[in-house]
Amino acid sequence: MAMTLGVEHLGGSPPVTVVALDGELDASNFERVIEVVRDAYAHGARGLVLDLASLSFMASSGLFALHSALRIMAGETPPDPEMGWGALHQMSHDHDAPVANVRLAGAQDAIARVLERTGMTSLFGIDASRADAVAALQGA
Amino acid sequence: MTTRKLRIPSDVDRLADVRAFVRDVVAEFGGSAEIAGDLVQAVDEATCNVMLHGYGGAPGEIEIEAARRDNRIEIRLLDRSRPFDPTAAPVKDVSSPPVSRRPGGMGVGIHLLRTMTDEVRHHVRPDGGNELTLVRSIGKTAKED
Repeated sequence: MAMTLGVEHLGGSPPVTVVALDGELDASNFERVIEVVRDAYAHGARGLVLDLASLSFMASSGLFALHSALRIMAGETPPDPEMGWGALHQMSHDHDAPVANVRLAGAQDAIARVLERTGMTSLFGIDASRADAVAALQGA
Repeated sequence: MTTRKLRIPSDVDRLADVRAFVRDVVAEFGGSAEIAGDLVQAVDEATCNVMLHGYGGAPGEIEIEAARRDNRIEIRLLDRSRPFDPTAAPVKDVSSPPVSRRPGGMGVGIHLLRTMTDEVRHHVRPDGGNELTLVRSIGKTAKED
């Protein structure tokens, strides 16, 4: 099953981009997530919602993409995706507290389980829905 | 005993086929949706390891065999890549709650592989390559960490 990405730039203050992931996130497509987040940040987004409501599977490479999104939205350079698996293994751990401007919305149970088992839930704002996540970022 | 097999080239674009295969066989063998989800995750991580670590992008084949033995589902991965034993990787610190452990780092995939199965066995094949067996019991939840 392929993954499709929907990208919506909402504007507002701070400017928020919503990236909706639909399908299965794995080693064949995780770099696309990193690319769209990099583009969003380059175009001025300072808040990011990753809408996981339609995501049915996430491999550890997907976790790497999520962690890279944190780095990008913090204005940092993420590990080079060209390093592939090696980059995942060498991922640094400099975010012990949730990063305020990246939120995960609507994760299905299977995805939430992977996030919890790997400690990722401590790094992101977690919301039940995309609307909640946008509201949390823009203080609506 | 029923056995199902899938043979694929070492290509990350084929991981979706591997996951579909695992979902189908777990359903056929009477495993729950939760067990299917766990085994799909574990087999994806193990297969991806072979493709990226073992073959390192070079051409190769991976054979996946699934069988039900008594109340257990066993999934065996056979390859001809360089020896790589995921069971030999350092065990993650499980003394603290998962939420407080740091993500990423060495062996996230291997950590998932281990926590979503009941047993992982590795052998170097006498004629070259690896044999990795993932075992999950039917009728109980995966060990919690």
